[in-house]
Amino acid sequence: MAVATDQVTLQVDGVSVTVPKGTLILDAAKKLGIDIPIFCSHPKMEPVAVCRMCLIEVEKMPKLQPACAIPVAEGMVVRTLTDKVKQYQQGVLEFLLINHPLDCPICDKGGECPLQDQTFQYGPGASRYDFQKAHFDKAVPLSDKIVLDRERCILCWRCTRFTEEISGERELALIKRGVHTIIGTFNDEPAQSVYQGNWTEICPVGALTSRQYRFISRPWDLDRTPSVCPGCAMGCNIQIDSRHNKIGRFQSRENLEVDDGWLCDQGRYSFPYFQRDQEFGSPSIRRDGQLAAVSYPEAVAEAAARLQRAGSSAAGWASPGATNEELFLFQRLFRETLKSPHLDHRQQGIHETDPEDIGLPIADIERCDHVVVLGGQEVIDAAPVLHLRLHKSQRHGVAVHRVDEVKAGLAAVPAEATVVGVLATAARRADAITLQNQLVSKVKGSVRRLIVVRGPNGRGAKDLGILPHLGPGYAVLNGRAGRPRAEWPKAGIRALYIYDASPLQEFGATEAELDWLRSLDTVIVQRFKPSVLDEYAHVVLPGRAFPEKDGTMTSMEGRVQRIATGIDAAHVWDDWRILQAVANAMGAGWPYRTSESIFADLAKAVPAYAAAAPAQGRVLWGER
Amino acid sequence: MSDEDREVDGKPDQPTPLRGPDEGVPPHPEGKRPSVAADITALATGLKTTLGEFFSPAVTLEYPEDKSPRSERYRGRHYLRRYENGLERCIGCELCAAACPVGCILVIAAENTDENRVSPGERYAKTYEINMLRCIFCGYCEDACPVQAIVLGPEYELSDTSREKFIYTKEKLLEPLPPDVQARLDSKGPK
Repeated sequence: MAVATDQVTLQVDGVSVTVPKGTLILDAAKKLGIDIPIFCSHPKMEPVAVCRMCLIEVEKMPKLQPACAIPVAEGMVVRTLTDKVKQYQQGVLEFLLINHPLDCPICDKGGECPLQDQTFQYGPGASRYDFQKAHFDKAVPLSDKIVLDRERCILCWRCTRFTEEISGERELALIKRGVHTIIGTFNDEPAQSVYQGNWTEICPVGALTSRQYRFISRPWDLDRTPSVCPGCAMGCNIQIDSRHNKIGRFQSRENLEVDDGWLCDQGRYSFPYFQRDQEFGSPSIRRDGQLAAVSYPEAVAEAAARLQRAGSSAAGWASPGATNEELFLFQRLFRETLKSPHLDHRQQGIHETDPEDIGLPIADIERCDHVVVLGGQEVIDAAPVLHLRLHKSQRHGVAVHRVDEVKAGLAAVPAEATVVGVLATAARRADAITLQNQLVSKVKGSVRRLIVVRGPNGRGAKDLGILPHLGPGYAVLNGRAGRPRAEWPKAGIRALYIYDASPLQEFGATEAELDWLRSLDTVIVQRFKPSVLDEYAHVVLPGRAFPEKDGTMTSMEGRVQRIATGIDAAHVWDDWRILQAVANAMGAGWPYRTSESIFADLAKAVPAYAAAAPAQGRVLWGER
Repeated sequence: MSDEDREVDGKPDQPTPLRGPDEGVPPHPEGKRPSVAADITALATGLKTTLGEFFSPAVTLEYPEDKSPRSERYRGRHYLRRYENGLERCIGCELCAAACPVGCILVIAAENTDENRVSPGERYAKTYEINMLRCIFCGYCEDACPVQAIVLGPEYELSDTSREKFIYTKEKLLEPLPPDVQARLDSKGPK
């Protein structure tokens, strides 16, 4: 029986469990709900068994064994609760605490520290060590993002193994030997990695902490809200930790299908952009060349009147940082209420798009045998966490080819490849399709592509038709297509509605466009923070920041994920409410009261979204 | 159910009276009749107590001119202490706020720099506020403090004219300790 040989049955604390061959004792015990304390072990890294915290008794083995490094064997009898195990656990903790400073009251990890928790649960309670503790450097800046406290370090090697196994950058290393061992970078140069924030999350003590979060809050004071990273289109799951209605930090919220539990520094440390550290102005209308503060209803009425005057010669630009619900209403405002086809969410470049762009889900990269990264670093810069997935795949035997040219990509993949993936940014989409087509005729297996779009909801903006030539759900607009953004200055546009939802993915006008903006009859700017566009605006409508909204976002692989309101900004109108008010002032009669009710209509208009959203799954366009 | 049915059951509507119609108030016992002599004796007994208390020392005080002594363990208003070199003891760890059962303490921490050193070590309290209207003077904050920065002093007259004035900020809490509190803390030995 093939199945039986792959399975091993063992006993942990008198309970039998059957697990696949090669499973570690630690994971077998976890399957039974038996907790073995650990410091150095990490589910995504190779076992090293350096901290000795997980020592357990195995029958017929004379000494205690590290559960994190010993694979299970048939008929193994494991005991985790004997007096001997307890004695060793207390001993290990006593040793770890000999030189660990008791500065928990000022340590940022205090309150969420595995060393604290496990000392409380398994520790001896008091130290017998009466001598002077060894002192090391405190508050050493490893880079502008990370502070290292060498006294607190218990040398679990998690951070050094992260840079070696997970990111492959080998930035951190163990320096010196024995009791003098310290963690550091080569030649004490500042760390360069863009994944440093993860070090603070995997550190089991307060040795590696974030400079940005330094002394901001104790963990028990934080309000935690599940959300999705606003940095790029990757869609990494985050948790917004806030205190007193201000963001303290972004923490990762593991989603094995998307981020594998990691975040990049670009996303993790992007929150100051979304911090409402001052008031960002009230709604205003330009009168006699000056912006005058008015109420929301007045500004909305003014915007609606100006838009109605422009009618089908109005154009709308919505940021790819807005939620699906907002984009859906924005698109309806233009196509249904104003009967204008001039919609866009893109920067200058004109990129085509179709549902095939999400053919290769992020998690499937690991299941390919060849992956071609067309553009190399350019793709990684657009979605940095993708690098960690590629590196993991590479360790597991996937051939990753970073190429600049289609020709090189074609040459890199051998004809016998069975599952091939192509990754490229939206700017090189045409090249990616060429490469995909050439590969299809070359290799015998399947070839799929994944296009890294711009903006956290760049995919959603395409799906929902914030495009001049495609409607919601990629509906072809025969004869009714509008003009793309780059052509607006010459297309007789009289009014422009800019919905600038995110300071990371802003309108980004060129010099020529700014001149054009000045010549327009009407410029309406709906934005979160004051921007350069305010100067050109006739109506300014302040909206909400990313952590203040709720709704759904579609990641670059088409995964529809929910963001929730983590920061209260009740005095500012929700962006969808502003859009609805503008449309209703022109007689649209929309009845929405919550973003959920908008999504219900969205799912009717784009049926592929109906199935994807509740399960946070991917949009499957093939089953339209 | 009609009235006739009730009589058939034999259960009267009214409860039975405690005393029958022919049972009167019992007569006064013989020899215990009130007399004038007994009344005067009773008056004298009462006056003896009154006059005895009148000439004994008073237990009440002429508050607010006179005040009763506080026990040295009395828990009144809070003080934040300083070290002898002037640095604040508080390290902004928020353990007092965590221990507080009513949540009347707000601490916001910040980092010490060489230019701006407020306390020894890395961390200090940028904001330290106690809402005295909420405080129940349980003393848990003093217990929780790892650096003995916060103590409860003997003052109990905390009345004021507005709610805002009951939010004691760091400036107010850092006022010098009364000498008796200082003496008590000093007697505990160096900390």
